[in-house]
Amino acid sequence: MSLVQNVPAFSILLLMLCGIVCLVLPRRAARHLADCAIALVAAASVALLVYFLQGGAAYTYSMGEIGAPFGNELRAGMLEAAVATLFSIVTLLSLMGGRAHLRSDIGRLKVNLYYISTLFLLCSMLALVYTNDIFTAYVFVEINTITACGIVMSKEDGYTLAASMRYFIMSLIGSGLFLISICILYAVTGHLLMSNIQEAVAQLYAQGEYRAPLQVAIALMGVGLSLKSALWPFSSWLPDAHSSASASSSAMLSGLVLKSFIFLMIKIFYRVIGAGIVRTHAVLDLLLVFGILGMVMGSVNALFERDIKRLLAYSSVGQIGYIFCGVGLGTPAGVAAAMVQVAVHATTKAMLFCAAGGLMDASGGSKKFRDIEGAGRRDPYAGVAFIVGTLSMIGIPFFGGFITKLSLVQAAVTVGGWRNLLSILAIIVSTILTAIYYINVLAIIFRAPETAPTKASEKLKEEWKKQVRLDTEYEVAIVLFILLNLAIGLRSDQLMQIITTGLSMFG
Amino acid sequence: MTQLFTLLKISDGLAIQFGADGLGRMFLCLDTVMWILVGIYAFKYKEHMKHTKRFFAFYLLTYLMLAALSMAANYLTMYLCFEFMTLLSMPMVLQDGTPESIAAARKYLMYSIFGATLGLLGFFFSAHYGAGTVFTPGGLLDPAKVAGNESKLLVVAFLSIAGFSAKAGMFPLHAWLPTAHPVAPAPASAVLSGVITKAGVLCILRVMYQVYGASFLAGTWVQKALIVLSLITVFMGSMMAYGEDLLKRRLAYSTVSQVSYVLFGVFTLHPVALLGALLHVIYHSIIKDGLFLGAGAVIFTNHKEYVSQLHGMGKRMPVTFGCFTVCSLGLIGIPPFAGFLSKWYLAAGSLSEGLPVLSWLGPAVLLLSALLTAGYLLPISIHGFFPGEGEKEAEGKEAPFQMLFPMLVLALGVVVFGVFAQPLADALLRIAEAMF
Repeated sequence: MSLVQNVPAFSILLLMLCGIVCLVLPRRAARHLADCAIALVAAASVALLVYFLQGGAAYTYSMGEIGAPFGNELRAGMLEAAVATLFSIVTLLSLMGGRAHLRSDIGRLKVNLYYISTLFLLCSMLALVYTNDIFTAYVFVEINTITACGIVMSKEDGYTLAASMRYFIMSLIGSGLFLISICILYAVTGHLLMSNIQEAVAQLYAQGEYRAPLQVAIALMGVGLSLKSALWPFSSWLPDAHSSASASSSAMLSGLVLKSFIFLMIKIFYRVIGAGIVRTHAVLDLLLVFGILGMVMGSVNALFERDIKRLLAYSSVGQIGYIFCGVGLGTPAGVAAAMVQVAVHATTKAMLFCAAGGLMDASGGSKKFRDIEGAGRRDPYAGVAFIVGTLSMIGIPFFGGFITKLSLVQAAVTVGGWRNLLSILAIIVSTILTAIYYINVLAIIFRAPETAPTKASEKLKEEWKKQVRLDTEYEVAIVLFILLNLAIGLRSDQLMQIITTGLSMFG
Repeated sequence: MTQLFTLLKISDGLAIQFGADGLGRMFLCLDTVMWILVGIYAFKYKEHMKHTKRFFAFYLLTYLMLAALSMAANYLTMYLCFEFMTLLSMPMVLQDGTPESIAAARKYLMYSIFGATLGLLGFFFSAHYGAGTVFTPGGLLDPAKVAGNESKLLVVAFLSIAGFSAKAGMFPLHAWLPTAHPVAPAPASAVLSGVITKAGVLCILRVMYQVYGASFLAGTWVQKALIVLSLITVFMGSMMAYGEDLLKRRLAYSTVSQVSYVLFGVFTLHPVALLGALLHVIYHSIIKDGLFLGAGAVIFTNHKEYVSQLHGMGKRMPVTFGCFTVCSLGLIGIPPFAGFLSKWYLAAGSLSEGLPVLSWLGPAVLLLSALLTAGYLLPISIHGFFPGEGEKEAEGKEAPFQMLFPMLVLALGVVVFGVFAQPLADALLRIAEAMF
């Protein structure tokens, strides 16, 4: 066993350990420790990805060398390594991009708690990516929920408190359904390790036993996880939670947390239940239909929104719809398209939330459209980020969003019947709506002052000039985000290669 | 296209490639000549504008994208250039910075991006069903993959062609054009109306003839529906222009109508009609640039924007109005001016194509629209030179030479290309025949 194969366990344990150590460190040290730990995990994940790219086979890692059925297993393949890399990089960049806001949004006493939450959040997401044990998955789902609510709540005002309570309740319903589903699977098969369950389920299906409980388990799994990943119409909690949180929190929540549950869902469908059985189940069709509705409804809601962060949150609902559309197509090409969208949306939306933080800074802290007029001129980094985001959403070639649309349509063309027509239609409608509201945002943030400067706007300008902060961290983060988006667009061939190879290692 | 220049290659399906075929060369020449002439005019007109640096920056960037679009050798490159041409020409519309121009720019962007997204859909399908990606005369679809999916591809073909036609101002996606063109400064509206609408025509030509292929679309509902839409536009544009008092908007409505003449020829899928369409691309560019520059000269020198204010203006600005009249006569299609020949070929091609009803309805609509064109353009010249008894004559002076020069060149072009059209027609016929 080569050293690099320890990366999954190492990442999870390192993040957990650092989270605990953060509790007793001074604020500054906690911050540096968190940054270093996440950077280290990112580097390790890259190393693991390189190992797979050089021909390493997928492997199972037994924690503490205790074998099945008692032990706790991790399983790593190319897809897992790629997703872990993505998650850790985007977390780091989100922290960097919203750092200035963290200082102002979070009370001095809570800084350490914020970094602890972030570390545990990333830890739980990586655990969801790597774990091969369905009960471990449940444990980390809970950790994920608590820490995600924690980073929403860390911004101290009544609004975030209400939003995070709502988020918490919805999330717990989701985990509850997930738990019931696990119980049913355990009762029926007697296993908790994913590969064992799959064997048992396949056997049961062949014998025709326990059909109803299995159907229910699949359905509960689908509903529970789509609640947590904000599939429309379960997305009502999302705009409040994501728009009221601090910039980094919004970036991580919208960019990553939703995707970790989607990844878990894909894993459960294809590794626990088995592709052949899931395809006969109505759950995929439901996911497809609701994904399509989400693509359209999220965009329609965003169209009427007059608050930049809520607009981005509704846009996330729409973009999540693309992922579910890909998953719901049920073909390997569809799942690959969904994974492309995971990567594209993680980088783009995290960038836009960080940039929205910049726009708010340049407009006296307000996120209303009427106040951020011209903010893109005052904060050019945010302006450029929004231009890149818009180009990507419209589907200009060589930006990330184009690759999503290309792979999704190509996946949809090959499936038969109504699925094909409906999903392509939805992609077109949603693209057009998305283009409209993003261009609207661009028009607002680049609007030149129409009238002579008023007293209020002069004052704003003075304030802005005074606090021209040399926030290099934010600028670096935005630039790196833009480069990431372009890298996905320009290296789409390699990305598709990684995803398809990863999916073939996955099952 | 024999020789390809590959700028960037991501995979076999995704590459930025350029190549020069006859069609592309023709559009490139047209773009370049127009850009130089209007550029000369703009150097004088800029005294009338704020933010001149910004204007010229985007003027040149738009030209870059148009040139790239003309040379684009595959669908992806074409789509990329098309989108960027929209985005980069938009600042020229909102040049004045008034709320009206900002609203117009937004409308322009919405319509264009709506259309381009439909075009993007076409790319996804052509990438999936194509045998290659490079534009090929006769179509690049792979018959083996297409078999059984014809009806699906026809829908996509219709949507993508209708999408690109937003740029060319075809009904029902025409509404942005009469809003956006008049609010732009005169040089910008000249190139927007004269040249950039033709970029939509170029994309449609590529999609119809070199992606799907004329034989795939001939006789289908797609062809008929598109012809009907183009004829509606021809007639509607003329009617709207007839009732419009603001001179630049009247010219914009005229563009709506005239570009659909071109589209009618393109949709007929017949070499002679296509020849007429290509001729009309060139003629209409020359004429419409001349007309817009004339309208701009009146605004620049004498600050008159409405047709009703121009009584007797021809006496004050004889050269401007002379050029304007020559261009008007060309647009109506009176021999020997340019414009006659193209309409002749359009009608001839349509009649020999032999689609039921449409083959004779088309020429009839074209004729009717020519009549309307005379109705909305000639009164401007007539009242300009011969104001009626008792009408109050407008005051004013002639435009500066730097603005007159491009107009004179364009008017000369209208005459020369009308009288000595044969070499041009021969060259374009070769291009048209190579498309099938």
